[in-house]
Amino acid sequence: MFAPLEGVRVIDLAGQRGAYTGRLLADLGADVIRVVRGAEPLSDVGPHVQTPDGTTVSAFELFVNLNKRSVLLDAADNEGLAALVATADVVVHTMTWDELADCGLDQATLSRIAPRAVITSVLPFGADGPRSGFAGDDLTQLAAGGLLCLGGYPDSEPIAVHGGQSDLGAALVATTGILLALIGRRHGRHVDQVDVSAQETVAGALEDAIPEYDLTGVVRRRRGDRAREAGTGTYPCADGYVAVVAGRMGTAAGWAALTTWMVEAGVEGADEVASEVWLDFNHRQLPESIDRFEKVFAGFAADRTRERLYEEGQRRGIAIAPVNQVHELFESPQLQARRFFVDITGGAVPSVRVPGRPYRVDGDTEFVRRAAPIAGQHTHEVLAELLDGDNQRSRA
Amino acid sequence: MSEILAAERILDFCWVGAGALVTQTLALHGADVIKIESSARPDNLRVSPPFRPGQRDLNGSGYFASRNSGKRSFALNMKHPRAREVATELARVSTIVTSNYRPGVLERWGLGYADLCPDNPGLIHLSMPMQGSDGPHRDFAGFGSTIQALAGLVAPSGLPGRTPLGTNTHYPDHLPNPGHALVALLGAIYRRDLTGQGAELELAQFESTVNMMGPDVVAASVTGKSPAPHGNALAGYEPRGVYPASGDDRWVAISAAAKDCARVVDVLKERAVEPPSEDLEGWLAAATSRWEAEELVERLQAVGIAAAEVLTTAELLEDAHLAKRGFWRRLVHPTMGEIVVPGLPFQLNGAPIADERPAPMLGQHTWEVAESVLGLTRSEYERGVEEGLFQ
Repeated sequence: MFAPLEGVRVIDLAGQRGAYTGRLLADLGADVIRVVRGAEPLSDVGPHVQTPDGTTVSAFELFVNLNKRSVLLDAADNEGLAALVATADVVVHTMTWDELADCGLDQATLSRIAPRAVITSVLPFGADGPRSGFAGDDLTQLAAGGLLCLGGYPDSEPIAVHGGQSDLGAALVATTGILLALIGRRHGRHVDQVDVSAQETVAGALEDAIPEYDLTGVVRRRRGDRAREAGTGTYPCADGYVAVVAGRMGTAAGWAALTTWMVEAGVEGADEVASEVWLDFNHRQLPESIDRFEKVFAGFAADRTRERLYEEGQRRGIAIAPVNQVHELFESPQLQARRFFVDITGGAVPSVRVPGRPYRVDGDTEFVRRAAPIAGQHTHEVLAELLDGDNQRSRA
Repeated sequence: MSEILAAERILDFCWVGAGALVTQTLALHGADVIKIESSARPDNLRVSPPFRPGQRDLNGSGYFASRNSGKRSFALNMKHPRAREVATELARVSTIVTSNYRPGVLERWGLGYADLCPDNPGLIHLSMPMQGSDGPHRDFAGFGSTIQALAGLVAPSGLPGRTPLGTNTHYPDHLPNPGHALVALLGAIYRRDLTGQGAELELAQFESTVNMMGPDVVAASVTGKSPAPHGNALAGYEPRGVYPASGDDRWVAISAAAKDCARVVDVLKERAVEPPSEDLEGWLAAATSRWEAEELVERLQAVGIAAAEVLTTAELLEDAHLAKRGFWRRLVHPTMGEIVVPGLPFQLNGAPIADERPAPMLGQHTWEVAESVLGLTRSEYERGVEEGLFQ
């Protein structure tokens, strides 16, 4: 098992925005102790599932707390919190400086009790600047970061992508910062603060929209399901939708392969889109070309399923993919062949399935050491270790 | 530049999307990233818009410039018979090799991990195939937009009954896949610094993106069900949505836990013409449109409600908060002139990225690298140029 962070202690105080950070560090072998005060705040985060005995459990919590240990403290137990933070190589939190001080962790205390720790904050707008105290959640972070402006239909309000992407994304970015800090520490560079901004996380992921405005003055806005070019977009088929990139940014063979396929199928209008003038992407980007292609492709795809379009399209060299529902991923022949999903037993829900590790190291895919804990499951264990450590120090 | 990675040299075969962002992050923390490219087969981003009007050439793409700053460009035509020998020598003196080619391409060139490891046991080798290096779909092609469809991210994003939307970008290329690749890569650097051991890393972009749907995967494994398209609404929140502000196409995103709904209503009542009605969403939209976006955000934030303006790219570049944090970098490019590129979304010890090196021109550093890294003489280099090796 690839576990380079064995021996690194992480104290995880994060809310929804940063909770995935501890998960990624735990997957790397760190001893991640999730410390919750009063109650696990992630229990409120959806989606939720029911256990056989009727209890409601957060699937978000099950996903992000995998491989962590959990310690439950009284909401007012600042001393207990400080004792745990004092053992940390890394602290991850989602609090402003004021909120930290309310927990007894003002800057002076932190640098006294944990002088070598990497203190990591994952905030909507970062730890400084005029809006550093602002509240935020995924929707407002996508708004402030500019991705929301690109999403939605032209006749609707801007619409956000599903799944708390700015929260998971900011947590991913935080992990990069922490790993750089830990590497730096081994090279004698002292990094004690990682300051992550969810707004910047989103603003750095706007594709070509920033240079487009910078170089041409064009402000990109939501265009809904309107393709940017004939052959590049989301199109309906017999049992749902497929996403296609057969235009200029596609594979070299993509456009020709797609139009040839439609001609072979005898689709009405296929000969027209297969003609030479359509080989020029400038022609394919004309509004009337986009409309015309959509009609021809609709006739082609109406009696073909996503799976058929995917399998045969790919074998013809076209970048095409089904618009999958999440539960359909379990049936993916590719993910099955790679034994991607991992079944986990022994947690709050008797058996759940989680996505496999997002990367493989030396061909190894194993990474699960323990199911997501029930809040406080390791309180006694961890406090006993602390006491043991204190005793050893006092004997020494 | 933090210089944390000053000991790293990266032989970088990444192009187009996700990979380029991985190596840019490494470059901005001090690594020497040597980007291998060739005018015989340029990086697709070099020919991708946007271009400044009248500057449509291989060194003029703003898209390319936004994800390749801080790197060196080494022109090497991999179709030339001596190219593999040059690349192998570069790999021998590098600490990391990166690529997002399809499976098998680097191996065909003798640049796979197994080929390079014997001469360089500490080498870290990262590949980023779309579907992984094995399995029945290993050779399937894709881009960010098709990967997010495949991974289940598109279907629930949008309004019920309409075509699903996803992000309307190649999102997996911009955040999930470079993000997870950096976690693997930096984890491997950490291990190598401890043990001397190298690593073969594979990031299957499909699998990485499925992790961004992790909570829904866990839920579906219990319920057998997938999330349905839900616009901006979310269970447990009210109001949660994007509401019109005063002006043309101006919007405010507001997200409040249901228990905080009254606080939002109280603020909006200050200017609403009608009292709150049964149709809360309709009332809200009428009420918000009586506010300037910025003013409403300030008022809601003052009572602890998450609210933000829906910023356009033009507004982002003028945003006072981002300016104060030093997020945007204004670089001077040799042919493009002054351009704006993003920094990194995290600061170490409170310092934004201050690296001022713009993306390289194609082959800009070929001689520099040939001399200082490969130890070639000027005449050996010139012969390579004449032969079409350094092209």
